[in-house]
Amino acid sequence: MKTSYAFILAGGVLALLATAPVFISDYWTGVLLGMTGYVTLATAWALFSGPTRYVSLATVAFFGVGAYTVAVLNDIMPYPLVLLCAAGIGITMALVVGLSTLRLAGVYFVIFTFGLAELVRQTVSWWEVNVTYTMGRYVFLPFEGRHIYWQLLALAAVTFLISWSIGRSRIGLALKALGDDETVAAHSGVDVTRIKLLLFVISSTIITLVGAIQAPRWTYIEPSIVFNPTVSFMTLIMALLGGAMRLWGPLVGAIPLFLLFEWLSGTFPDHFSIILGLMFILIVFVMPNGVLAKFDSLRKGSKL
Amino acid sequence: MSAKLEIANLNKRFGGLVAVNDVSFNLEPGEVVGLLGPNGSGKTTVMNMISGALACDGGIVRINGTDITKMKPHKVARHGVARTFQLVRPLPTLNVSENVMLALAFGKQRHWGRTAREMAEDKLAFVGLAGRGQEKVGDLTYIDQKRLEMARALASDPDLLLLDEWLAGLNPSELQIGIDLVRHLQDQGMTILLVEHIMEAVRALCSRCIVMSAGEIIAQGACSKVLQEASVIKAYLGDDHA
Repeated sequence: MKTSYAFILAGGVLALLATAPVFISDYWTGVLLGMTGYVTLATAWALFSGPTRYVSLATVAFFGVGAYTVAVLNDIMPYPLVLLCAAGIGITMALVVGLSTLRLAGVYFVIFTFGLAELVRQTVSWWEVNVTYTMGRYVFLPFEGRHIYWQLLALAAVTFLISWSIGRSRIGLALKALGDDETVAAHSGVDVTRIKLLLFVISSTIITLVGAIQAPRWTYIEPSIVFNPTVSFMTLIMALLGGAMRLWGPLVGAIPLFLLFEWLSGTFPDHFSIILGLMFILIVFVMPNGVLAKFDSLRKGSKL
Repeated sequence: MSAKLEIANLNKRFGGLVAVNDVSFNLEPGEVVGLLGPNGSGKTTVMNMISGALACDGGIVRINGTDITKMKPHKVARHGVARTFQLVRPLPTLNVSENVMLALAFGKQRHWGRTAREMAEDKLAFVGLAGRGQEKVGDLTYIDQKRLEMARALASDPDLLLLDEWLAGLNPSELQIGIDLVRHLQDQGMTILLVEHIMEAVRALCSRCIVMSAGEIIAQGACSKVLQEASVIKAYLGDDHA
């Protein structure tokens, strides 16, 4: 079977990646960690936003809430329980946001999600300044880079498994259909609201967990670090570059872009934002459907 | 396979405009009925209220005795109501076969996997698209898109089929194919309500028709009789011809 070979191959690559920190330097483990984080973010983002075409800029809202949950709870609870709490908060927030916004379409949804990220960031800042009197928190957990990396790798594997199984299920078909035409999907028997909500919750929970797992990496956390909107934009552009409608699309986009951004921010720290903006424009103009679709169309010799 | 449709005192207003005013009619199981009327008379609005696309402002819609008035479209679909759209609406991200599988997967029976693929192929063969399941919908001609729309509606195994100008825009030979297809469904005993402007099709298919004008029913009964009535001719052609 073709599928079982693919699974063996994926398992092999996963094992190789998991043993990598033993052989490489701490710096490169750090790079791998960041890359795995963005691969997971982009894949989770595309899980919902790819087929439904609801472009969400709320990525960092969930990501930051995950990180803050760990910062607040890490010295009063065992770590696994903290992660469970983060997931629970992610689910609750996604349900509230989803129920109130998934009726919005197109650009209104984009604006709402961007506003949401800012709202959460300002609320957390206000709370920390006026209620708890602590601007900034320390996260002391006995984790090295490779421990965080392994957790992210496991989360990435789970995310791919979820994405793969949804793609093969009737829910995957319904998602594509409602991305095309919600009215037709509904008249074919698809409970449009429920499926959108389900996928939004799954996607947002994974994003929350990425933030939670990465929190110990910073040691010191404050709203401007973990609620940085660049996270939302980078996630979006990575998924778009690879192709948000395909299982491997976000991965194909995330790896080169992460390495490029890493290099750019080191080499041109002052002009990074300008270059980032230019790249966004370039990708949207040249490859609106992503690299993978571009390759397909080039191979078939037809113009996209 | 066939359902009884009951509509009582249906109302719909858009702002100050009364689009549908106190419309009541029944369809017996297995009946094929034409819903006629000039443009803007409220036919499609009635269709939309039956299928759940529009919420009505008053009245009751029942299918086999079950009240479906307040149901969302996906619930109505699971009660055995399927429809086509006035302008064809194929789903371009899905291929031809997947378009049909969507309705199979979420219809009354919820088929999936190999069964669904085989059944999709059957439905496509029935409408004359045999072996074309892997094609992109964008590559289909207009009549083939209409066929696909019909296959998707039939895939949910409906008891009541709503056809909204499904025969419009076809050339004479295509029209004949379309009429034969609907007649085939009629022979299987499906209850069908069709909104149609093509009188040739209405005469060929419908035992009975209902004529609407300005949101109200102005005539109903056997086609041959109704189409002769003065009020119907007036609604279509104006006072001079009545």
